[in-house]
This record gives sequence, C-alpha cells and structure tokens, in this order.
Amino acid sequence: MSGWVGKLLRVNLTQGSCKAEELPTHLTDLFLGGRGLAGKLLFDEVNPQADPLSPENKLIFMTGPLTGTGALGGASHAVVTKSPLSGSIACSVSEGYFGPELKFAGYDGIMVEGKSPGPVYLSIEDDQVELRSASHLWGKSTHRTEELIRAEKENPWIAGETSVASIGPAGENLVKIASIINDKHRAAARFGVGAVMGSKNLKAIAVRGTKSVRIANGVQFIDAVRMAWEKFKTIPVIPQALNNTGTSFLVDVINKRGVLPVRNFQTGVMQEVEKISGEHMAETILKANKGCFACPIACIQITEVEDPVFQGKGEGPEYRTIALIGAGCGIDNINAIAKINYLCNELGIDTLSFGSAIACAMELAEKNLLSKKETGVNLTFGNAEAVVELVEKVAHREDFGATLAEGGYQLALHYKHPECFIGVKKQGSPAFDPRGIQGLGLDYATSNSGVSHALGYLVTHQIVGIRGEINPLITEGKASLVKHFQDGSAVFDSAGLCNLLIFGIWIDELIPMLEAAVGMSYNEQGLFTVGERVWNIERLFNIKAGFTTKDDTLPQRMLNEPMPEGPAQGQVCRLNEMLSEYYQIRGWDPQGVPTQEKLKSLSLL
Amino acid sequence: MKRLKIDYKQCCGCRRCEVACSLHHSENTVNPKKSRIRIFSEAAAFYPVVAGLFNNAECTSKNTVVIGDKQVDECILCRASCPIKPWFKEPDTGVLLKCDFCGDPPDPACVKWCPCQAITLVDEEGKIEVKIEDVKKDYQREEKKPSFVKKLEVKSSSLIF
Repeated sequence: MSGWVGKLLRVNLTQGSCKAEELPTHLTDLFLGGRGLAGKLLFDEVNPQADPLSPENKLIFMTGPLTGTGALGGASHAVVTKSPLSGSIACSVSEGYFGPELKFAGYDGIMVEGKSPGPVYLSIEDDQVELRSASHLWGKSTHRTEELIRAEKENPWIAGETSVASIGPAGENLVKIASIINDKHRAAARFGVGAVMGSKNLKAIAVRGTKSVRIANGVQFIDAVRMAWEKFKTIPVIPQALNNTGTSFLVDVINKRGVLPVRNFQTGVMQEVEKISGEHMAETILKANKGCFACPIACIQITEVEDPVFQGKGEGPEYRTIALIGAGCGIDNINAIAKINYLCNELGIDTLSFGSAIACAMELAEKNLLSKKETGVNLTFGNAEAVVELVEKVAHREDFGATLAEGGYQLALHYKHPECFIGVKKQGSPAFDPRGIQGLGLDYATSNSGVSHALGYLVTHQIVGIRGEINPLITEGKASLVKHFQDGSAVFDSAGLCNLLIFGIWIDELIPMLEAAVGMSYNEQGLFTVGERVWNIERLFNIKAGFTTKDDTLPQRMLNEPMPEGPAQGQVCRLNEMLSEYYQIRGWDPQGVPTQEKLKSLSLL
Repeated sequence: MKRLKIDYKQCCGCRRCEVACSLHHSENTVNPKKSRIRIFSEAAAFYPVVAGLFNNAECTSKNTVVIGDKQVDECILCRASCPIKPWFKEPDTGVLLKCDFCGDPPDPACVKWCPCQAITLVDEEGKIEVKIEDVKKDYQREEKKPSFVKKLEVKSSSLIF
C-alpha cells in the first residue's frame, strides 16, 4: 500500500486491549482518510444519540494518505468524535509531528473506545503498543506531561522524536472547551475534543516510529511537491507574510475589511489594531520560525514575552487567538494575549471558545447582567489580568470558572441572555464577522461540527482575494461558492494536508501529489465528490443526533443588528437569501435532509 | 571541493531534509530514520547533523554540551555512527548510513529541499572554518543567556562538512 500504511490501531480502554486492524480499503476509496474516513467510522460505530462523555462515544485520530509523505503541508491529522459542546459530530484538525510519527509507527489512525478505570497513557513504538499508568501525569499541564513522557526515554534523540498528544487539567476536568495539544503548541482545539479524551481517562498518546511510508512513484512525487511549492510561492504577499508573521498577518487585513470580532462582535473595526497586529508581534515578541513536518512555509512563530507581568515563552499566538482574545475581549496588549495563549495551551483549553466565552461574559458585565460578586474578577473589556486569572479557574472549574467551563452558550443561557453568545450550534464563532462576508455566514450556519472557519476555508477567497476579487457583500452565487469550498476543504482535511495551504494551492495541485503518492488516478470531479460525501455523512450523523434546519442559523446579532461602522457598515448577514439555494445545490430537501437520490449518487446508501 | 554548510540558526525544524534524503536514497520510501541527515531539537532550536564516517569503537573523550537549559552528551551532535549510537543506521536492516553528497558531482537533495537555507553547498578548499571547540563555547554561552538561538549574537553558528 502506498500513501496509506494500511493499519488502524483499535484501543479498547475498558478491556485494556490494543490491536491493529487492516484499514478498510473500500472506505479509503470513498473517503480518502483523515476527516472523511474518521467521520465514516464514527457514523458506522457510534450511536449519534450517545452521551458524548460516556464510554459509548469513540475518539478517532486519523491521518490522511499524504500525511508524513513530505507533501506540501502534509502534516495534519484529524480528531473526530461526538462533541460534548454542541452534540454534533466534531472534527478538529491539528498539525505538527504527531500525524507523521503515527504513520512512521505503522498506523494510519487510532480508534479509542470505552473508558479506562484509571488514568492511562498510550505508548506506541512501532509494534510495541501498550497502555501505561498515567497517575503520575494526572493533573499536570500538557507541557509537563510531554516532558515527563520524554524523560522516560533513555536516548535524547529518541526522546526528541517522540511526539506526544495530551490533555491538560481542562480535559481531565471535562471542561467543554478543552483541547488536545500535540507537540506542545499544536492543538486539535475545537468542539471540546479534550473533554472526550478526559472522560476516557486517557491522559496522552506518545508515538515514535521507525517504519517507512511507501510512495507509489517517488520521482513523480518529488516533482509534484516542487510544482505545488512553486505555485504557492507565486501567490503575492502570502508566503512571505506567513513566514514573517504567521497567520497573525491577517489581523491587519481583517481589520481593514471591518470584520474583526471586536468586543464580542459589537463592531468590526478596532482602533488600536496596530498594537496587536502581526507586524507588531514580529517586532516585539517573535524570536524564530518553526515548521510543521516537512512544511517549507514555516508559519509557526516561536515567541517569548519578557514583560515581567506576562512573562512566558512558547509558540503563537495565531490570528484566531489574537482576534478572539485580543480584539474580542478588547485587549490591546500583545504580551497579554501571548501569555493567555501559552496558558491555554499548557492547560489544554481552546483559545477560540475561551475567548468567545470571556467576551460573552464581558458583554454581560458591561450590561450589568453579571456582577463582580459572581465573577470574582473585574470583567471589563480590556482587563487582561482578569482573563489571565480566569484561565486557571476554567481549567480547574473553580468559582466562576465552572460556569465558563461549560462554554459561552451555557453561560449566556445561565444569565438568561442567550443573545450575548455569538456562535452557532452552541459553539463559539470563529474570528471573522460574517456581516461583512455574506458567504462566510452561510458557511458558519451550515458547518456540521458547530461553527468553524477551518471546515470551509472561505477566508482565502473572500477576504484575502486569492483567485480573483469577489464582492463579499452580495449574496448571489455564494451558495455554490460555499459548497465548492466546503467540499474542497474536506478533501484537504481528508488527504492530510494543512488547510492553510488553501491560501496558495487548490485541488489542481493536490491531484498530482496524491496520484504520485498513492498510485491511483484521480480527477477534480471525483475528488469534489469525495468532499461532498464527507459533508453528507457528517450531515447524516447530525440529523440522527437530532439536528434540524432550525440549527442552521446564525446569532441574532449577525442577522438583525447592522454593523455600526467600517467598510461593512449597515450590513447584516442575509442568510435566508442563501440557505434554501444552498440546500437545493447540495441536493437536500427544504428541511436540509439529504435526499435518497443524492445519497445513492454518493454511494452512501 | 564542494562541502555542506549547516547554519543551525537558520533551521526551522521542519525536517524536510530528512524526507528528501530518504526519498533520494531508498526508492519510493519516506522514512526519516533512514535519512543521512537528522534534526536534533532542543530548547526551541534545531540542530541538523549530517552522517559522517563509521567508527567501530566508542570514543573515549566525551564532553557535555549545554543547549538551552539542558546538558547533553556531545555524542548528540557528533556525526559519526558508532556502536553505542542507534542513529545513522537503517532501523530494519542495521545498514550504516553515511552522507554521500548525492553523487558526484555533489547534488544534495537536502540542499534542494531546505526551505530556509540552513543547508547550503559551498566551495571550500579543504578549509575547516570552525573548530568544534568554538561551537562548544557557543552552546555554553547560551546557558548564561537562556534565550532563543536566533536572537543571540553567536559568532559562528555554522559548521562545514
């Protein structure tokens, strides 16, 4: 087998057994791997009505056929489960070295089932797979966990090459916005996947492998990778911007478009933006660049804050963190944002959902709906010290942290003002305001795993203007554009490529890499069908979990409150103009349910 | 004579060179553990090491070097493969690996794939620019200033192989 390594590791925590199974090839033909294959396995094996935090739920780590091959951006793995935050299917994609190392150990994916009676961690070294006690790791931060696991290895090289994905205290305490952190700062962040791992008493997975990933045609493959990289480099500004400032170069771009989520999406423009922009970050805290496995873009920013108040070092923050914790909570201090980012990663909290929940609490406090007596800290927009204090409290579910740990939706509901929560399907909104990008509103509303910017990477097209400028303020043609991008992004996630690549390459460049790696022929139409199949299987899971067309909506603020200022002034997201057209293009009935013909044409029946 | 120049300050740790090397030397195979160049990472810095000659005995003069806040054996950055070291050996067959500059004339795949110019091919008339002692001093200097490598004003960050 080329591309894939052909094995799926099934770990049953209840029985304490680990066994390798053949990867179902009839499914890799239909779903490739990664997000698609894991989604299909979850659909087949987990009851959509199951309690997400019960042993009945399963947690799937899955790589794609291009992960670990050296393909451009081939460093990603998907974490798929049923989300405890939204109750929908959850697909969270992370990069780094974990996915490639898993393939070098000889496994395409790990299926975690059941629940361990006590804390354990999974150690994988090629064929030696075992569950070990993690009682000495329980309660430790993700960084400390990684260091302790590595310290068990005698040889420093082996220790350095061991990749660890772990949860912090947040995941252990079943915080609904907990993430799974791999390689210290890379995160499968969204949808509360960390809480699922915590509910299974699985502290970490450590993996190192010495096996090979076979490529069908090496010479052709090298050529395809080179072509893709050349293509990526021809995109103006982006490659340099990503290399110099990481994704945070977007802060300035998005602010100019007037769609930054300022103060819980109350407006789209931030006056003090230059204090949190990527350029400012590069001048102050940035120390060096780092790349994920075999990725030449090297967009990871190694940073260090010397300011004694917010002292710390690590990686990031990324655009989304700066936007939601910085602009979203009115914090205009890059040092503070970096510190909160480091803390979130160490404790295993999703920075987006955390920022969204804090911003919601701040708005409640601003409107005098939440008193200092209840929160214990002075929650005004811009108070960074209060946010730093709350990170720990959320991770340990202390005081007000216990309310925040349930996520922004439950928080707003608790104080009887659900309109203050900005998100879809109980999941906090990503860092772009759809009032100024109509298509993105439709993408948010219809996204299967709650709302995510990454699952239909429209930003590249509508904001940054790659592949031709289009008007983000009109709704015509957006339904088909959204479908096109959702399907394409699903292909990237399923093939194992980082979706930042969509800034520069698209299916045309992916096909030669995929063909050379797996030795089968693909065409554009076929791959978009794969993407559509992934999207439909996720939709079917959600429908069985009880989701209806009523859930395909946006928060009231985006639908009814016009944007007060900036380039998008006066705009609301006109979702209803696009939604029924979208259902029609997708081949779904007016209730958003895939029709029998559609499912038959996608070989899902 | 062409030589490989490695500048660890430039290295972004992506390990693309490992992929390039294994794809070049073992047909249709990606396996960093079969690569003749390996990246050692410590304290948010990355140190590429190119496989050198095989030594059939363990050497006697062993120093420790300090990287970041850790003391490691000098072996870590030594290019030779010797009986006590597990690296620069094919994991499945035990075949010893040594950099061959990808043929004659030298055309190293790692240089072509490196995105950050950490590995370059230079013309050197058998001249060794940096002595290992100098490099050791640099690492020790880092201990006093526990910071990131790129920010340090290290006199010689490159090694020529």
